[in-house]
Amino acid sequence: MPDMPDENYKIKTNDVTVDYGDKRALHGINLNIQSNQVTSLIGPSGCGKSTFIRCLNRMNDLIMGCHVNGSILIDNTDINLPETDIVELRARIGMVFQKPNPFPKSIYDNVAYGPRIHGLTKNKDDLDHVVTKSLKRAGLWKEVSDRLDASGLSLSGGQQQRLCIARAIAVNPDVLLMDEPCSALDPIATAVIEELINELKERYTIVIVTHSMQQAARLSQKTAYFHLGEMIEFDDTSTIFTNPKHEMTESYITGKIG
Amino acid sequence: MTDIKPNIRLKKRYRAEVRFKIYCASALAIGMIILLTLISSITISAIPAFTQINISIDVQLEDDDIQTFKENPTDVSWRTIQKKSIYKMFPEITSRSDKRELNKIVSTGAYLEIEKFYNRNRDLIKQTNKIYVPAADDIDLIIKNLTDRDLPENMRTISDKQLSYLDTMIEEDRIKKSFSWRLFSNGDSREPELAGLKGGIVGTLLTMFVTLIISFPVGVLAAVYLEEIAPKNRLTDIIEVNINNLAAVPSIVYGLLGLAIFLNYMNMPRSAPLVGGIVLALMTLPVIIIATRASLASIPPSIREAAYGVGASQMQVITHHVVPLALPGILTGTIIGIARAAGETAPLLMIGMMAFIVDIPTGITDKATVLPAQVYMWANNPERSFEYLTSAAILVLLVILIVINLLAIILRKKYERRW
Repeated sequence: MPDMPDENYKIKTNDVTVDYGDKRALHGINLNIQSNQVTSLIGPSGCGKSTFIRCLNRMNDLIMGCHVNGSILIDNTDINLPETDIVELRARIGMVFQKPNPFPKSIYDNVAYGPRIHGLTKNKDDLDHVVTKSLKRAGLWKEVSDRLDASGLSLSGGQQQRLCIARAIAVNPDVLLMDEPCSALDPIATAVIEELINELKERYTIVIVTHSMQQAARLSQKTAYFHLGEMIEFDDTSTIFTNPKHEMTESYITGKIG
Repeated sequence: MTDIKPNIRLKKRYRAEVRFKIYCASALAIGMIILLTLISSITISAIPAFTQINISIDVQLEDDDIQTFKENPTDVSWRTIQKKSIYKMFPEITSRSDKRELNKIVSTGAYLEIEKFYNRNRDLIKQTNKIYVPAADDIDLIIKNLTDRDLPENMRTISDKQLSYLDTMIEEDRIKKSFSWRLFSNGDSREPELAGLKGGIVGTLLTMFVTLIISFPVGVLAAVYLEEIAPKNRLTDIIEVNINNLAAVPSIVYGLLGLAIFLNYMNMPRSAPLVGGIVLALMTLPVIIIATRASLASIPPSIREAAYGVGASQMQVITHHVVPLALPGILTGTIIGIARAAGETAPLLMIGMMAFIVDIPTGITDKATVLPAQVYMWANNPERSFEYLTSAAILVLLVILIVINLLAIILRKKYERRW
């Protein structure tokens, strides 16, 4: 791992374990994520990469019987403490899910929902501005600018996913977590989203879970390989894909396991 | 594989499919036939109850009556005026017993129509007025041909003399058939021709109002707590099992509970829609809770994740997303529960709402009865006319229930699933 001064890490996790009841899903993950980079998490199904990403905005709190231990520092503050305000945390750490899940409301209301509940805007003009800006950043503005009142569900799958990205960035987060954002999309929509992720990393720290190794290779600067709840290897993406240190990583990326 | 075998199997499978469809269709047909028979038989026997036979009598107030009416209208003996007017129509009748029989052709409540007429038309006080009064119930049946007038005299409630008086009235064109508005504007009565459903309808509406006001918010909030907020542990499991059991408890048990707690312990008024509504609300609660929970559970978790993901608090997730999306199911469950409560009699028996109450209730603490109770009581009355009135009351109750169910369908369509 390259030597970096501490403050350049946006997210630092130290010995993070996750238990679902009696079953341990993550065994002591230590992973440091840098600002304004794309970090991808790869590994076979059930390896714990989604579980890990959901620790970063405390989404696992919603799951009955799930216990997260260890420290997760974001901007040097441990978010895994009971006194953390989860609402405020989730506004800072946006999330995009595997299946596009716009609210069954209009396109405008989908994007405006976050700013509204957090009281980020003072008036209608302000809100309009935030909605427009978010849709532009998500690359959706041109397609929907004339039908903001249409239902978010009337959009195609790829457009819905970009709407979800617009919704996530409308509350102005620092970090974007993406849990297999393209797995439900066709290759063309995937290409659009990937291009978007590339642009978004200028502003946000992005952590992406993906099943597609090509996607990890194309998009990310850092890659972590997970296997059965353990992080096997974490390095620059180029190193992982050309010269992995660990045998298991090599087997996975060459298609022998997974 | 040979060529013949799969072919035979294919034909067999097609035949099995056709048979299966026929079974399903005939099951539906049986249900429809039973329902249609029920509704049509009720409708047919209810038809006579919607019309009423009226007899016109010529009324001329005497001078002292006019005097009394001007000074103190409540002191006028309208009953005597009614008798005198009828006797005047048949001057040839002199014996007391014949006069009594003649007077029995009109309803015992006929004088009320005369009183109503003069109270409305004070300027007509001095002239002779033709006033329509309801016929007695057995006369009503004779004119509607529901009683056979060729039966021997000892087998009918009307004497030959009364029949001859009636025939004279028919000749004089004094008989008029009209729609029976009394059925909807009068309270209950022992006289079929005066009995109406208004008391039952108003009582049902008041009771349902109390039921809805209590059971809807309590039921929905309880379901939201159990489904969305409470941790899943042994205690909530026990609560869940008990709620499911409560939905299957015989309704009279709720009546006993109401009697013991609300009437005997808390001294709430007897026979009041307030208590009836509370008892029916207790009965409806498990239905609403179960329907609401099922409806909340059917909301996909992705909606909750999306809302939590942008930083909504639990209350915001529930009130902005989950409950609005579950609303069609919640409303359907509520309306089904309310419709069931509207047709309930057993729990109301215990708290005194199954009673002969003539006055129309004006508030939730007045004495009242409900439509199903009135159906039950009318069915027990000996007069034959009540047979038709009972069917009419059932029909009115069915119409109210259909309206409630239609409302459920409209609401469901309006807030249909949108994800």
